[in-house]
Amino acid sequence: MKVVVIGGGWAGTAAAVEAKKAGADVVVLEKTDLLIGVGNVGGIMRNNGRFTAAEEMIALGGGELFNITDKCSRHVNINFPAHNHASLYDVTKVEPEVRRYLYKIGVDIIFEGRVVDVEKKGSKIEGVYLQDGTFIDGDVFIETTGSTGPMGNCVRYGKGCSMCILRCPSFGPRISISQRAGVEDILGMRGDDSYGAMSGSCKLNKDSLSPEIREKLNKDGVVVLKVPEEDVNMDKLKMKVCQQYALKEFAENVILLDTGHAKLMTSYYPLEKLRKIPGLENARFEDPYSGGKANSIRYLSMAPRDNTMKVIGIDNLFVGGEKAGLFVGHTEAIVTGTLAGLNAVRYGIGLKGAELPVSLAVGDIISYENKAKETKDGLRKRYTFAGAGYFERMKELGLYTADPEAIQKKVELLGLKGFYNQKLV
Amino acid sequence: MGMEVQFMFRYVECIDAGSEYCPCYLAEHGECIICSQLKGKEFCDCLNWSGTCIYQEYLWNNEKGKKPRQFVKCRILSKQYIREDVFILKIKVPKSMARILDNIGAYVFLRKNNDDVVFSTPISVAESDPLAGVIKVMIKVNGIKTKAIDECSDFISVKGPYLNGIQGQRFIRDVNNGKMLFLIRGTAGISALMAAKKCIKDNEIDVLIDKGRHEKNFLEDYFSEVGCAVNRLSFLDEKGLSDEGKYKIKEYIKNKQYDVALSAGNDGFHSQIINYINKIDENIKFATVNNSIICCGEGICGSCTLSGISNSSIKSCKQQYNPMELFLKADGSDKICCKKDEECKL
Repeated sequence: MKVVVIGGGWAGTAAAVEAKKAGADVVVLEKTDLLIGVGNVGGIMRNNGRFTAAEEMIALGGGELFNITDKCSRHVNINFPAHNHASLYDVTKVEPEVRRYLYKIGVDIIFEGRVVDVEKKGSKIEGVYLQDGTFIDGDVFIETTGSTGPMGNCVRYGKGCSMCILRCPSFGPRISISQRAGVEDILGMRGDDSYGAMSGSCKLNKDSLSPEIREKLNKDGVVVLKVPEEDVNMDKLKMKVCQQYALKEFAENVILLDTGHAKLMTSYYPLEKLRKIPGLENARFEDPYSGGKANSIRYLSMAPRDNTMKVIGIDNLFVGGEKAGLFVGHTEAIVTGTLAGLNAVRYGIGLKGAELPVSLAVGDIISYENKAKETKDGLRKRYTFAGAGYFERMKELGLYTADPEAIQKKVELLGLKGFYNQKLV
Repeated sequence: MGMEVQFMFRYVECIDAGSEYCPCYLAEHGECIICSQLKGKEFCDCLNWSGTCIYQEYLWNNEKGKKPRQFVKCRILSKQYIREDVFILKIKVPKSMARILDNIGAYVFLRKNNDDVVFSTPISVAESDPLAGVIKVMIKVNGIKTKAIDECSDFISVKGPYLNGIQGQRFIRDVNNGKMLFLIRGTAGISALMAAKKCIKDNEIDVLIDKGRHEKNFLEDYFSEVGCAVNRLSFLDEKGLSDEGKYKIKEYIKNKQYDVALSAGNDGFHSQIINYINKIDENIKFATVNNSIICCGEGICGSCTLSGISNSSIKSCKQQYNPMELFLKADGSDKICCKKDEECKL
């Protein structure tokens, strides 16, 4: 049984790992020459509710990728404004580890393989075409192409192409498989009723920072610097994707996290203004390359889905990550991608899709987000274990805990131990 | 074959996309062939990424198309008759134009100075020297436009560069250390000269050339001079492909694994050749000389329109298609009409 994963980001790699474990033949089609997509410039794990989510996934038997990010962490159990017990992984180490793992378990990967069209028969996808005309057939398809860009969208809905890690000019634009297969995309919105939201963080080249700041970053993982009063801009918070970092503290301060790069928790920051801050006089951007001007626009391309991650209207297409909804974060991508991977294989052998119970955070977020985005208000929100409204909900429902043992027990009681370890084919 | 035949009409390709003439008039008026954002939509739906974002280019150009190609008055360096009705012109053109014309499928519009623009006629470029800024064209006089050009002596108006003179270009370009079969009949062969010159460096080219009504086709020597193996025959008779034609073609194909066949003739010829060769070896790809009526070269006038599958239409002066899709008959039922049925003998 052949599973084709389109998009090799965190969601896609999670789906690939799970589908492989379940016994299918798996091929990942990745547009660029790197896996994990924006994960190459991310790094924040286990903050707030993500700790719970990570432990739930580990208890469910789907912890392989979390083990890798834990292993590659530069800092563990650190706090930064409004976020506790975070781990920051090293962006320069993670991708090769993930790649080696996928190869080790026998997943096929086609790099620089950009899908441009779909071959459909009735309501089933028969295969997809790459930009060079190659036809890739399969039994089930998982779309984890994200929702970012491409260039023309960043131009229309953002501040132009910022030369981000997705590298459209080099590797070509993302296309929406589900849309091409006849199912209209859902678009996220932001405060001012425009579409999409801007990626919420950029990275500074660590070597361009002062030795003092570099040292503090390496030691503590966090540095908080004051923004000159004349430059404090609350409005920029409304634009960004990451509502969990859209707090007053992030507008009045420049918050840097150490992920190997110096991660600046704001969408972009005009270089002239940035260099007014002591210690950042020589700062320059690592990602996006034009982070002084703009960042990429997200949430322009979600597929309507059910809670088994199957796309509504197509028999054999599943989604994960930002393709599956207004999710923010690597953890959220892995959570949704893994379920898509399992259910793709279940579909392939004629089983009904499995839903995760809402008594687990990883199950609740999937069904909660799906319901919430039916309203315009919901389309303006983001869903992440790390903050915004969903972390509050976790606390209210008693889903949040940072106790791994308690989570293990809970999963066992639910009879879900090894849920993601079943070999189906 | 099924998947391949769908290819070109599925993937729309514009010859000018990403070039210095992109975005063009079409984009300015919301009719871009490639970019959805310049075709009335508000989101990206890039089918055939040309390497650059056309929408971005358009905005940077103050929401205007780039300066379009215009006629320039050029000096004729020499004129030579090689038959009473065929002459060669060597024309001095801007080097930047010559640079782009030094490519497969290159053509220019020629017009006698002061003639109305309706006299513009598209003429393939047989040779181009970018360092000297000189192009060579061969013209057969067979009507009002070519007669007018024959009257030029010192100067001529040239508009260019254009590159859509050969359809299915990518199939020629994609071949490396391969084998090509050129089938030439009539003056359409002039359009194949550049392809021969460009491809002979890395590939083997066999040329089957129809002698027509004369002792030999005047193009024979040009092909052999660049290194092609040339053979003469008579392709057609009243019914279609002649027995000699069929026999020779089959013999060649059975003896060599050709990657691509270039058909240089009229549309009827293309149809005969493609259908016949495809039956013998379905792996051979096809390129054809573009016989569409081209009047503006910019996709505006509509003269070159071809109807495709499911009512799609193609501007064949700008768009590249797979000739198999246009000419290959599958039980006759899905033959695509090129509005020139009377030329098709099959």
